[in-house]
Amino acid sequence: MISRPTTEQVLLDCCRVLEDDVLPAVADEPTQVRLVMLGKVLSNAAVRAAHEVAWMREEIGAIDAYARAVAATTASDDLRATLEALAAGPHDSLHLDDVVEVYVRASDVLSAALEAALADGHAEFVREGEALLAARLTHEDDVVGGWESAGR
Amino acid sequence: MPEPTMTPEALERFLASAEPGRRASVTAFRAITGGYSRLSAVADVRWDDGGAERLVLRGDPPPGDGVFVSDRDSEWRILRALSGARSVPVARPRWYDATGEHFGTKCIVFDHFAGRTLQDVLRTAEDATAPGRMFVDTIAQIHDTPLDALGGAAEHPTSWDDYVDGVLELYRAVDREVADSSPVLRYAGALLARHRPPPVPFTLVHGDCQPSNVLVADSGRHVVIDWEFARIGDPREDLGYYTQIPMPPNVYHRDPQAFLARYRERTGLTEEQVNPGTVEYFLVIGMARLLAQILQALDAVSRGGTRGIMATYLINAVTHQYGLYLDVCRRVVA
Repeated sequence: MISRPTTEQVLLDCCRVLEDDVLPAVADEPTQVRLVMLGKVLSNAAVRAAHEVAWMREEIGAIDAYARAVAATTASDDLRATLEALAAGPHDSLHLDDVVEVYVRASDVLSAALEAALADGHAEFVREGEALLAARLTHEDDVVGGWESAGR
Repeated sequence: MPEPTMTPEALERFLASAEPGRRASVTAFRAITGGYSRLSAVADVRWDDGGAERLVLRGDPPPGDGVFVSDRDSEWRILRALSGARSVPVARPRWYDATGEHFGTKCIVFDHFAGRTLQDVLRTAEDATAPGRMFVDTIAQIHDTPLDALGGAAEHPTSWDDYVDGVLELYRAVDREVADSSPVLRYAGALLARHRPPPVPFTLVHGDCQPSNVLVADSGRHVVIDWEFARIGDPREDLGYYTQIPMPPNVYHRDPQAFLARYRERTGLTEEQVNPGTVEYFLVIGMARLLAQILQALDAVSRGGTRGIMATYLINAVTHQYGLYLDVCRRVVA
């Protein structure tokens, strides 16, 4: 397959065309707003294409380790069930759909672990869970690069 | 219902039906942007009796298109009630195509209000103190609307605890419903259910409370627009909702204490009830319905559907909200 330009570079080039060539030629205001939104979506997708598999795999490992520690000290059936589902996920594949499937299962695990930590009043586990959420949001912020509410 | 046909021809036919004694010609017509949910247009109309007026049309996008869902019948009922009650100024609702017979979509027709948005006034003011106060006073005015004046236009929740529980459960429900998984929502829901602020009496809640939805005339007269998410709820939902509005300047963030002191003065609520902590709690409550709708739209896209560019664009808003929610949770835990 053709690997260079990368997907990120292809999408960013599309953004440039939209912004420099297409947008100035459009007079209709609602269409202008849609084009601005489209450019933002494409630039977000460029960042995702470049990093999302690596970011998700990193998070999955960290969440799994955290949740097993929480499960060892709490008696949450929900947490146990989500951990079993995570273990059964397609971990060996790097196809995006499979990585996302495992990531979603890991997200369910994180939700269950945080709820179990809260229910047990385990402050340290709550803080550790919050740190995992913060790490996830750091990546999401890298994708988004700020929220401006185009057209308003 | 067929595709929306909010056109000059459709408006002329509609007006002929709404005003059978006279005939209207549409002399200008243009689609407008601003809101994120409904189709809007401004039309200039000349009547055969010599009168002329400018109208605003507000209709639903095609079914399955767009992100936000709201009930046009409910908005019409609330607008009619507010217009009659005069408790808070609104653009006068004139006619309603309740079946979509004329426009291919349910469509409310308003009097056009000549003015700028209060957001624009704030942005361009040398001293934003007065328009900032106007915004706080307008929120208080909305919340001061006698609920009796709404008649049956909005549902009255049974109890404050049940209301808050219901909103928090919405987050859990949407997390179950969609194909993606949102630990921030689950965490915020579980945490906030354990840390409740003191209750306050229910009021009318605008639901999209921001200066962009206040129009100000040169005379200083103003109206509040975009009532599609209005409901009876906790008034702090509007305050919390406003804190997440990204467009600068944000009157709240410029001076939260002054903002809240004026609001308390106008409403009679106490500092225990209205303070930065309770306001950020109600950011999570006040955003719930809209965030759930965004997540449902993204879920539709993930299942192969399309909701227009708005849905995928609003991934940015979801990230913004999640960051705010986590900040709220951290302060609650601390």
